[in-house]
Amino acid sequence: MESEARTLPSAGRLSGAARLSRGPLFGRAHGRFGPGSGGPLPPCSQENADPQKTAFLLRKQWALYSVTPLYKFSSGKLREYARLLGAFIAAERHKGLAVQVGVDLDIQVTFSSLPDLKGSEQDHAAMLVQLSSRSSVSPKNSEEKLMWSGWFCCVSGDDLSENVPEDFTCLPLFLANGAESYVAIVGSWFQKTFDCRFRRLAISPLNLTWMAAMWTGCKVEKNASATELVFSVPCLPQPLDISYAIHPEDAKALWDTVQKTPGEITQEEVDLFMDCLYSHFHRHFKIHLSATKLVKVSTAIASAHCDGIIKFLQSKYLIGVLMLLTELAISQIQ
Amino acid sequence: MDETVAEYIRRTVLKIPRDEIKSMLQTWGFLSETQLQTLNFHQTKDNISQDVVQLCEDNSADIKQAAVLDIIYNHIYPNKRIWSVYQMNKTGEETDFFDLTDFKKKFKRRLQSALKNVTINFREYEDNAIWIRIAWGTPYKKPNQYKTSYVVYHSQTPYVFISASVLRSTLPLLCQALVVASNYHDIREMELRSHCLNSLKDIAFKRYSQTFQTYYPRPLQERNVAPENVDLRIIQENRSEKERIQRVNREVFGDGPQPKLEFAQYKLETMFKSNPKMDVLDIKEPFRCLVKFSSPHLLESLKSLAPAGLADAPLSPLLTCIPQKARNYFKIRERKGFFPGSFVSP
Repeated sequence: MESEARTLPSAGRLSGAARLSRGPLFGRAHGRFGPGSGGPLPPCSQENADPQKTAFLLRKQWALYSVTPLYKFSSGKLREYARLLGAFIAAERHKGLAVQVGVDLDIQVTFSSLPDLKGSEQDHAAMLVQLSSRSSVSPKNSEEKLMWSGWFCCVSGDDLSENVPEDFTCLPLFLANGAESYVAIVGSWFQKTFDCRFRRLAISPLNLTWMAAMWTGCKVEKNASATELVFSVPCLPQPLDISYAIHPEDAKALWDTVQKTPGEITQEEVDLFMDCLYSHFHRHFKIHLSATKLVKVSTAIASAHCDGIIKFLQSKYLIGVLMLLTELAISQIQ
Repeated sequence: MDETVAEYIRRTVLKIPRDEIKSMLQTWGFLSETQLQTLNFHQTKDNISQDVVQLCEDNSADIKQAAVLDIIYNHIYPNKRIWSVYQMNKTGEETDFFDLTDFKKKFKRRLQSALKNVTINFREYEDNAIWIRIAWGTPYKKPNQYKTSYVVYHSQTPYVFISASVLRSTLPLLCQALVVASNYHDIREMELRSHCLNSLKDIAFKRYSQTFQTYYPRPLQERNVAPENVDLRIIQENRSEKERIQRVNREVFGDGPQPKLEFAQYKLETMFKSNPKMDVLDIKEPFRCLVKFSSPHLLESLKSLAPAGLADAPLSPLLTCIPQKARNYFKIRERKGFFPGSFVSP
């Protein structure tokens, strides 16, 4: 799987992404779901996603990938897929090409559907793939241990799903937790079986600024964690990292003075928010953060790293964050 | 020999790089030269450590001797620990003659009377430094040899370098014992921390090079021949700006290598002042931020910011004052009064 930075999306596309994400993030409907679109409210508001069922997705690091539409995928055949993937992994191991696991370990494959993770009617239900190990010496009394999980999802991905021929299933966002070697092996089976292509989904500094602004604006309870921006300073003889953490209340107060357009976020507002933070920093340290590289954003809602790693922290905002990531995955595919 | 002592020696030997084991054991001096000759240093480290333990068994080593080996290792690899600088103060003018025996006796007595179970080792080095290793216990529990504190004290100075135990509650007692034993009145943390003990000493003892007064401008050597179609005045302007940055940088950082620190931290509670161009309301309350800089060699990387065009020259005094103020942890509040651009750090 290649890892490649995606090109900057145009401002227009981004502001679309923001409108999309802002709806569910704020519990309101906007953009395409807003007045005029004619459709019903999306079944994606936080009440619908059962926090119990998605709790296992929180506080884990997920590596992001974009996936092209799956050809002739059928959600009725999950059991069969599990069996086939299991056989594929066993065969790869036999060839000695695959991941190093203990010789005495059996790998158990499960496929399951996560119907809660949807943004619109057209979205396909998310799908979870899990690999667990069990000692083959005494399979009865040994516990299964989860080794790797990965899930495909599409939250408000109508842009893509409306434009693919029949026979194709759109699950453009893939998230994996566990050894990268399993991504390679699972990915190659999907590639072979459904004629799709996986690509690492990096997050550009520009998109990170959007996340910083949007997530800072979300309402969270007291004692929330700070809005932290991590910058890396390139091309110095000695590398330098700068972490700039702002008290969540103060960051939100600043965002609220910057954010003026009702119901949506504009590129200008995001830029102004960042410029304000940069100028406050410059006033103290005389360093131009705008000339450095923003590599990570963390807030109470989620944290995102430019290498394409995400951590969800609040089930309430899970759908909203996934909607933005789906948007990024789709723009990488197109 | 106690099993815990054997295990401690084994683990300490495992920490040492293989080709240094022999010389460290020689420095230790607990095993005889004849015993050392029986050791095969070409086998795996695991086997070497077993053999060393066997020899120590023959000499019936106790924990105090095992601790000396740990001090030797830490003295050679001080960068494995994180060090914090403390400064002690006297009340009056009295100058006491420092007596090492008296210092050790008082130090030990203070800790032993409080804890009963505690392992204390001293080792003196040529640079007048006293290294102290403390393994902490309680009246009911044996000392934990794996969660030690280290103290490096230069008796002719008021500075103490402490690498505290992960058992944080032991720190106040340790500070108390130091003050009592060295006849000082009190002790305070200077908010200066690093892995590099020697750099901390350079900063505390003001040994790093500063060329503030002794700067002689030197012409920059520019070998690039400018293309003919570029305005010569622009080239001249660029060059003089470059020269200015170099000069200012040299005035601030000096010519020599910088002391090695890995981080600096600023807790800011200052007003948020918006740029008039930005059309953002001023926020009346202090804007609370925590800014952390980290680098394998922080001061060198800060020094290279302005020449790389990433910062103004001169850099902010908040950053350049680190060596002079001998601290890398700050709390910054707005200075009340006349200078809107200035800050205080209490």
